[in-house]
Amino acid sequence: MFGFLKILAANVAKGPSTDPFPFVESPAPKRFRGKVRLNPALCVGCAICRHVCAGGAIHIAGRPDGSGYDFTLWHNTCALCGLCGHYCPTGAISMSSDWHSAHPQTEKYDWCERHFVPFLACEGCGEHIRPLPSALTGRIYADNDVDEAHLARLCPQCRQLETALHLGRNGHEDHKRA
Amino acid sequence: MKKLIATLSARSPWLYRINAGSCNGCDVELLTTACIPRYDVERLGCKYCGSPRHADIVLITGPLTARVKDKVLRVWDEIPEPKVTVAVGICPVSGGVFRGGYSIEGPLDKYLPIDINVPGCPPRPQAIIEGVIKARDVWRARIGG
Amino acid sequence: MNDILPALFHMLVFPGGLFAVAAGLLLKGLDRRVEARLQRRVGPPLLQPVFDLIKLAGKETLIPATANRAAFLTAPLIGFTGMAVCAALIPVSGAYSGLAGMGDMLVLFYLLPLPAIALMVGGSASSSPFGALGFSREMCLMLAYEIPLLAVLLAVAMRVGAAVGGGAELSLSAVAAHQIAHGQFIADPVMWPAFIAYLLFLPGTMGVPPFDVPEAETEIIEGPLLEYSGPALGFFHLTSALKSVVVLGLGVAMFFPAPVPGGAFVNVLWFLCKCAGLMLVSLTVVKSATGRFRVDQAFTFYLRYPAPLALASLILVWQGA
Repeated sequence: MFGFLKILAANVAKGPSTDPFPFVESPAPKRFRGKVRLNPALCVGCAICRHVCAGGAIHIAGRPDGSGYDFTLWHNTCALCGLCGHYCPTGAISMSSDWHSAHPQTEKYDWCERHFVPFLACEGCGEHIRPLPSALTGRIYADNDVDEAHLARLCPQCRQLETALHLGRNGHEDHKRA
Repeated sequence: MKKLIATLSARSPWLYRINAGSCNGCDVELLTTACIPRYDVERLGCKYCGSPRHADIVLITGPLTARVKDKVLRVWDEIPEPKVTVAVGICPVSGGVFRGGYSIEGPLDKYLPIDINVPGCPPRPQAIIEGVIKARDVWRARIGG
Repeated sequence: MNDILPALFHMLVFPGGLFAVAAGLLLKGLDRRVEARLQRRVGPPLLQPVFDLIKLAGKETLIPATANRAAFLTAPLIGFTGMAVCAALIPVSGAYSGLAGMGDMLVLFYLLPLPAIALMVGGSASSSPFGALGFSREMCLMLAYEIPLLAVLLAVAMRVGAAVGGGAELSLSAVAAHQIAHGQFIADPVMWPAFIAYLLFLPGTMGVPPFDVPEAETEIIEGPLLEYSGPALGFFHLTSALKSVVVLGLGVAMFFPAPVPGGAFVNVLWFLCKCAGLMLVSLTVVKSATGRFRVDQAFTFYLRYPAPLALASLILVWQGA
């Protein structure tokens, strides 16, 4: 019946187990899903993140003058599920460990991840396109002996043409092996 | 003198929670900050009170469903001035994943003056404590500190 | 006139009024801090009850539209004045011998339920259904814990009375003086059941777990206190702080009033230490380790354990053991 006294005595002996947070910074655990971050250098604007976003937090819109597109993620409706990062083909979206989310009402609509991703003119036809990030071209043309940097700056049509011409000149890798 | 009173008063923020149709995720996190020794809010002088009449800081969770809207607004009116309102979780701030649903009347700031937002689904207990601290500062400024 | 001025001083400054308020608030702060430690928390600062009161003084007082205004607003004052007078009756051995009087134990017995009655008046005047629930619960609990209190008071009074020549000695200062001269009751095996009964009576009268049924905030959202806000609520907290000094001081005076050598100041500190010790044993440890009884459980608990214990002491004293 008096077992609780033993527990209380042990509690006093062990001392408080309180996280000293408001007075000392509290680091987030590993793999914690905090605020979403975008690396604009890797983003290709495929918008799969917008498609899978449960809260509808992601907005992607091209500029009317064709100079690029704006990526906006509103943290105030992001459910931190991590689907955008999971489906992102280039790994541009990642979950940071930043959990500081309290902010005054006046900053409500500034609580965003905003990035402008610029377009460049295609080296073939001059149309405005988003150049492929090197991380992506490296993966696509891993076993091919092509000028990746040049291909990255071409629009899809020009790139198709360029690749076909290249294969016609040099033959396909598979052919050579056979 | 007024400043001293404001500083001392701000050391005793009593919390009251209103569930405006929340999924209970944020409520569990609020409970965690209240009841678990690890996030002892009593250090800051906070106390969760059962009656809205005793409250200073109101923590509202949930996207404000059509059913609960009138009740939430009424309970909020019962809280004596000066009070500070904190929206906990993404639902009261923006509607969250329920935004645009047929039964959702939110976001909450259409009807109530919100002071602090703590987005998250749910926010970390530390983030809620941070929100309470920010709300306390707002409150102190309001009573003349 | 010459009698009234010191009496007023005792009621308003020491040991009633200011001193008791300060002591009560400190005890409450200590209580919350120790409770936090027992639960592996850090707990609020020692002066937290003071901050709470300052805060409450600056808040708005809302009165429900359907409430009885006069009763709603006077209820907190009833309890407060009752307890302020009570505090003046508590002897602080070595510093203050209590207001002179024949039957101050009887007065105490009649004044002690005042805070509970104030709660009942306030709760029913607030016109809230939860207030009415709290009213009935408070009433029920009060009926239960007053029985052991009466038996304990009688046992103490008759023990002293038997020693000084028959009958019952109902003056608290005489009770304290007798114990200082002839040994304290806490060392007297005949009084042990009464002491245990008093320890069990304390959490009930202070309304702390497991006997916080009238103000159960998770069941009936603080019952009678539900509609109170601002300064009026502050008065209830003040009353509770005063009451803790009164009931703890009464326990000290009845069971271990002996002073320590030294001046009045040292003895006041000693008195506070004894009160704090009694509080830690009977209130803090109990409330940090228990949940809440149902109304019927709390009621039968008092009839089943403290009441027979106190009566056992009373019968032993009566038989002249």
